[in-house]
Amino acid sequence: MADEDNSSDRVDNETPKPEKMFTLKKWNAVAMWSWDVECDTCAICRVQVMDACLRCQAESKAGSGRQDCVVVWGECNHSFHYCCMSLWVKQNNRCPLCQQEWSIQRMGK
Amino acid sequence: MSNHIRGRIVGREDSENSPVQKRTLLSAEYPGSKKLKLADEMTDTANQKRPNFSALSTSPNGINKTASLVNTKPGAAKKLVIKNLKEKPKLPENYEEQTWEKLKEAVIAIQTSKSIRYSLEELYQAVENMCNHKMASHLYLNLTTLAEQHVKANIQQFMAESMDRHFFLKKMNECWQSHCRQMIMIRSIFLYLDRTYVLQNPTIHSIWDMGLEMFRHHIVMNTLVQTRCVDGLLMLIEKERQGDAVDTTLLKSLLRMLSDLQIYQEAFESKFLLATERLYAAEGQRLMQEHDVPEYLAHVNKRLAEENERLLHYLDSSTKWALIHTVEKQLLTEHLTAVLQKGLDLLLEENRISDLCLLYKLFTRVKTGLQELCTNFNAYIKKKGRTIVIDPEKDKTMVQELLDFKEKMDNIVSKCFQSNEKFSNSLKEAFEQFINQRTNKPAELIAKFVDSKLRAGNKEASEEELERLLDKIMVLFRFIHGKDVFEAFYKKDLAKRLLVGKSASVDAEKSMLSKLKQECGGGFTSKLEGMFKDMELSKDINVAFRQYMSNARTAHLLNTIDLTVSILTMGYWPTYVAMDVTLPAEMVQYQNFFNRFYLGKHSGRKLQWQPTLGHCLLKAEFPQGRKELQVSLFQALVLLLFNQADNITFEEIKAATNIEDGELRRTLQSLACGKARVLQKTPRGREVENNDVFAYDSQFTNKLCRIKINQIQMKETNEEQKATEERVFQDRQYQIDAAIVRIMKMRKTLSHNLLISELYNILKFPVKPADLKKRIESLIDRDYMERDKDTTNQYNYVT
Ligand SMILES: [Zn+2]
Ligand SMILES: [Zn+2]
Ligand SMILES: [Zn+2]
Repeated sequence: MADEDNSSDRVDNETPKPEKMFTLKKWNAVAMWSWDVECDTCAICRVQVMDACLRCQAESKAGSGRQDCVVVWGECNHSFHYCCMSLWVKQNNRCPLCQQEWSIQRMGK
Repeated sequence: MSNHIRGRIVGREDSENSPVQKRTLLSAEYPGSKKLKLADEMTDTANQKRPNFSALSTSPNGINKTASLVNTKPGAAKKLVIKNLKEKPKLPENYEEQTWEKLKEAVIAIQTSKSIRYSLEELYQAVENMCNHKMASHLYLNLTTLAEQHVKANIQQFMAESMDRHFFLKKMNECWQSHCRQMIMIRSIFLYLDRTYVLQNPTIHSIWDMGLEMFRHHIVMNTLVQTRCVDGLLMLIEKERQGDAVDTTLLKSLLRMLSDLQIYQEAFESKFLLATERLYAAEGQRLMQEHDVPEYLAHVNKRLAEENERLLHYLDSSTKWALIHTVEKQLLTEHLTAVLQKGLDLLLEENRISDLCLLYKLFTRVKTGLQELCTNFNAYIKKKGRTIVIDPEKDKTMVQELLDFKEKMDNIVSKCFQSNEKFSNSLKEAFEQFINQRTNKPAELIAKFVDSKLRAGNKEASEEELERLLDKIMVLFRFIHGKDVFEAFYKKDLAKRLLVGKSASVDAEKSMLSKLKQECGGGFTSKLEGMFKDMELSKDINVAFRQYMSNARTAHLLNTIDLTVSILTMGYWPTYVAMDVTLPAEMVQYQNFFNRFYLGKHSGRKLQWQPTLGHCLLKAEFPQGRKELQVSLFQALVLLLFNQADNITFEEIKAATNIEDGELRRTLQSLACGKARVLQKTPRGREVENNDVFAYDSQFTNKLCRIKINQIQMKETNEEQKATEERVFQDRQYQIDAAIVRIMKMRKTLSHNLLISELYNILKFPVKPADLKKRIESLIDRDYMERDKDTTNQYNYVT
């Protein structure tokens, strides 16, 4: 603004201002996915649900068993590793967190 | 005794330097030559058959003409002799006396260096005749007496009250040489006696040995003579050791004499070794003070070479072990520690390859030499290595310095220490020790170093060079205890490379990954591999999304945007600060489309958009021409505001975009104060203030059509680094749990100690036993394992 040359130029350029200065052409976005859970730790094995459950981690040396170790939600909306829960219900068919009768609401995919 | 001496002489006959052997040419046969052996073998037949000494009978001196009893023709000789023997011719009555007189005269002539009146053949025959007429023992006795008288008389010349040592030695040598010369001649005359009478009586010395015995007994065993002789010899050797030239032929001849007389050991060697020890003890002390280590070592090497020369030139080879051992002890063993403390660090520091080679070579010679060298080598590496690692001021160059240091030490081990395994193992141990003296930092810096090499734009290396460099880095990585710290920092940089497409080479990335996998196992790299997998999957997802969009009802879209989304699995990637920003409606529309598309395919998932990682391509209509701007998402959000207004204040921008304050200031700086200034800031100045006003620059020009506007990177703060380390530490709990369950599942039953030791083998980070114990307790609480009811300190796996 203090610059005189600039201020004189500005007057000239006032007129040809385009309707839309900037147009978004491409957008490379990054998004992180995770299981849609209330608590990110499995209450049974105490491993984060984003990681494979403790037994699956112990199972495969590669530790890449996560693909098969999905999350399961109960009707109570509590979630656990599917592996952990299927072992749990063999002894006690109640949700370990709220003691409601366990029934599967949905499975992670 | 006689057999012994004979044996020794036989054994030495091949030696070119034998003083006696040179003279074998003078006589038909030399006592102790192979022919003597032959005679030995013929002993049993000698009684019946006379050996045919054709060599003598055909000697070129014309003696054979006078031979009366033997036909000169070989072969015919036997018959004739046998006939003669059968006939038993009578001898003249005083034959023995007369013949002995003749022989005596000849012997005295030899002893006094006068010419002999009789031909050698005639004398030889005379001896033969006497022997054949049972006069041998008498003859031997007479000869012995004669020899003894002569040798005895020789002692006088050595008994003078004072005598120049050198002169004495020369005289002694002359005396010995002429004794040998005489005995050879005498023996050739009395050869028949040697071959019959002597052989048949094992207790009797051969003529040669008898001569030696006389010489020893009457000359050299004389205390005064022996002392003078040995002292003289020691004096000559000392002179030579001081650097003077001495008569080595004289030394050699006299030492040979002592050997031949069987008194080398007792009369000479022990005194010699004592003198050697005294000399080098003093020399070692003095030179360690005066010289620096390389000079000293060179001197020791020279001394050892000289002593070996001495062994070659005049000392008896039986002295070798004791002599060399004495020199080594006085010059090396006594000063091992001093040499190492005074010189090793400097030699290593200055990379003095040849000096180190010599040091190693010399230290190999003495018992604890290599062990001490290795210990000091190890200490040097630890000391030096610590200085590289410990100083935060030097963090920038740490990894390169470590690589250089490792290469230098490797080179020294292979070139100077003969790739000795003890040294290479010690080298590894030292590196592992010092590199872990500073927790986490080396791991972090190694990870960053790898990033700098794998990042695009690193043109300093070809593929092969890069591969070699990665291998070298892996060597350093192997020493790091907190391998998971490395992984955490490596992952951060890898994420950047993958998301911004800044990786120099996919091959190099994969290669590094497989090296890490090989080193630490699949569990270590599974998340890193997951990152690569996410990038692959994202490609497919975007193809499907495009398909989805082409089928969707998109008439209400405000703008057509080419949206590509990288979908990252949480947990594989570093954690990023979640930031909610306000997107323009056109972007929200696309975001919603994508969310519907993706979550429809994957139930139970949620997506968290990461605005900090996004970037955009904008078309900009500047009055001076159309440009394409490559910008970050934040830069794009700011620029898009200028479609609605010409002048916008900082506060307005902040309210409109909801970008975090510091982030926004940096973004504005990059747009208004960087290289390509698409915005103008009022007032000017680098710092962005709350009341600043921004406007797009209608004057903007640039050569390029597509312009990348660089972001201003916030310097990684200490807190961020701490946060990364903290996460690593938390992850360790999970890793320990998983490792314990893995081991227990495999073993079913295991004692506490075995479990702990297996854990230490598996875990890639340092951990305290107490921490392991806590995790075990926790797993017992969670029913993964239980204590054995009968055996204490034993666990069972619970299925
Ligand atoms: Zn679980
Ligand atoms: Zn599982
Ligand atoms: Zn529940």
